Amino acid sequence: MNTAPKFVYRTLIATTPKKLWAALTDPEFTTQYWGGTRLESDWTEGSRIVFRWQGKIVHDDKILKSEPPRLLSYTFKPLHMEELLAEPASRVTFEIEEFTGKSKRQGAVVKLTVTHEDFPAESKIFPMISQGWPDILSSLKTLLETGHAIEFEW
Amino acid sequence: MENPKFVYVLHINTSPQKLWNALTQPEFTQQYWGGRRVQSDWTVGASIKHLKPDGAVELRGEVLQADPPHRLSYTFTSPAREGEPERAPTRVTFEIAVAFGVTKLTIVHDGFEPGSKQFLEVANGWQAILSSLKTLLETGAPLPFTWKG
Repeated sequence: MNTAPKFVYRTLIATTPKKLWAALTDPEFTTQYWGGTRLESDWTEGSRIVFRWQGKIVHDDKILKSEPPRLLSYTFKPLHMEELLAEPASRVTFEIEEFTGKSKRQGAVVKLTVTHEDFPAESKIFPMISQGWPDILSSLKTLLETGHAIEFEW
Repeated sequence: MENPKFVYVLHINTSPQKLWNALTQPEFTQQYWGGRRVQSDWTVGASIKHLKPDGAVELRGEVLQADPPHRLSYTFTSPAREGEPERAPTRVTFEIAVAFGVTKLTIVHDGFEPGSKQFLEVANGWQAILSSLKTLLETGAPLPFTWKG
């Protein structure tokens, strides 16, 4: 049986929803934790979002939802690998919530849930993003908490 | 229906040995694991216990693999709620590797029954525990929240 795969990753970060939103949408910020990828958009629904890597456009996608600082969703289609061009765009969604744990909150902690879905059953991109998101999101958390990203290259 | 399995990967700016210590020393675990002291002598076949802050045993299990600082695997059984049948043991495996000049931790928790209710609790629990572990190793302090009990 082939079911369409879906990737979900949650992480708790010592930051505020506003700072996390800025980290997801500020090109200078994304360059630091996204393996050198710069994300550019005006972050309004229906707008283009472009990923640049070493000056080249590697994604040219569309913002589906944008409700700062809570919800961001865009299409996702890599353009830099010939063998992946036939695959339709998937969709990634970032949800930002304040995290309180089970008892009273002692400081600012935010729960980030990344859901990446709408893949075809035999997707070639799915295994790549399943490896890529933990890299990116680990580095994002480190950058927000310590001021320095984990540098990686794929 | 498939047996659910929890898999989570994260990168931590620390060394494999420090991460191993953080997973196996009760003084360390109680800082990021909701106050739980994880106790064992970490040899294959040894018992392992999770103690709550009040000293009560919350979980018990057995060490299956211990290859410091690379691989640790143990079973544990969480106590059933009153009126519920006894729960079957599940298994957690920690794999520690080096990637991008930092330490990569892969956690696999399996052995759940199909449709397990426990699975969702476990998945939410790991995300909080592992997020706080990373913060503790990178900044010297865990995430600022506490658990009940």
